[in-house]
Amino acid sequence: MDFNLMIEIAPLLVQAAWVTVDISARALFFGFFIASALVVLRTSRIRPVRWLARAYISVVRGTPYFVQLLLIFYGGPAIGLRLDPFTCGVVVGAFNIGAYMSEAIRGAIESVDSGQNEASRSLGFGRLTTLQYIILPQAAGLMIRSVGVLAIILVKNSSLVSIISVVELTYQAQRLIGSTYKPLEVFTLSALMYIVIIYAVMGIVEFLYRRATRYTFL
Amino acid sequence: MEFDFSPVIDYLPVLLQGVGVTLLIGVAVAVMSVVGGQIVAVITLYTRKMVNWPLRFFIWLFMTTPLLLQLYFLYFGIGEWILIPAIVVGVLGLGFHYMAYNADIFIATIKSVSSGQYEASRSLGFGHLATLFYVVLPQAFNRALPQLSNNMIIMVKDISVLSAIGIGEMVYVSQYAISVTFRPFEFYITITVIYYLINLMMEAGQTWIERRAAYRS
Repeated sequence: MDFNLMIEIAPLLVQAAWVTVDISARALFFGFFIASALVVLRTSRIRPVRWLARAYISVVRGTPYFVQLLLIFYGGPAIGLRLDPFTCGVVVGAFNIGAYMSEAIRGAIESVDSGQNEASRSLGFGRLTTLQYIILPQAAGLMIRSVGVLAIILVKNSSLVSIISVVELTYQAQRLIGSTYKPLEVFTLSALMYIVIIYAVMGIVEFLYRRATRYTFL
Repeated sequence: MEFDFSPVIDYLPVLLQGVGVTLLIGVAVAVMSVVGGQIVAVITLYTRKMVNWPLRFFIWLFMTTPLLLQLYFLYFGIGEWILIPAIVVGVLGLGFHYMAYNADIFIATIKSVSSGQYEASRSLGFGHLATLFYVVLPQAFNRALPQLSNNMIIMVKDISVLSAIGIGEMVYVSQYAISVTFRPFEFYITITVIYYLINLMMEAGQTWIERRAAYRS
């Protein structure tokens, strides 16, 4: 192990790690809206809308993220969809994680006892008020846990964005290996950075979980 | 631009070869990760903490770093000393990755088997190992099945990542075909459909296995 080299390249890798965080955070942010929209569409009264949302979720979950990236980035220009690598990574990541997240959110909402909904409705709350004040606070704990797991998966999947030439952690590591010929040192360092990022995500999830379940007794 | 699927038909034999490689790797990794995960889980649960910390570290390490990085590490990092063939690295890397995930599931399900089962079996005269093999592990395995098949469905999709270290599976052969024919959209759509079909079959298999497990227990 060449520790001098590791110290020398650390700043470059930290910079790239920031891109990894950036791309994952943006994908998570937009993915959350896509997921919420999918949950609403899946419970729509119009059957084709429901059917479309389910088909979308099934196809996205049924095909590899790797192939989705390649399809949109290299295949996209053929139908006039030209995205720069970073945007493409965010967009595909958001649409991919959105499908998984919609299932997580739906599962959390369905885990709340249906009696809660019925009791609240019969007390005169509307559909949305019930959702806001009765269902969501109870579903929040489970929702944060499962979305947290997905966030970790998203960070790890962001390494795949390197194949469409976004200079994130894995791509930067490969570039550095190209110039230093020291794969072991560079990969060890980048693995450590992933571990740090994922530890931070785990910590945030734990914090939010505690806050969300402050007043619930489970 | 117009779609022209005739190059896809020309390259269909090559693509099917890639599908074959994907399926073979899938079977090998499934066997390795389930058997290995079971062993890791049993050792982690039934030996002293001093003995099993390397295994717990192994699970932790594989769950917190990305698969692509693990593959690069095994192929290019270890390759500094010994060059292992890509296919071996691919199967081992993916196998270890999912072994860690499966071990985590097995640990949870083995713990969920009521301790009364263990005590009853011991008091009926079974030894420690016999109790594990005939009483605890079969029940734990049945409970692990839904999550296990879920993991395997995710695993089949992750085989596409192996193309990054040059294994000739579906994505790799289609990238090759694209570099010759310049028809990315058609080829990627084709393999997307193939992946989806494989997935549908695996989902059907999952419901079948779950129904059988529910019937047996």
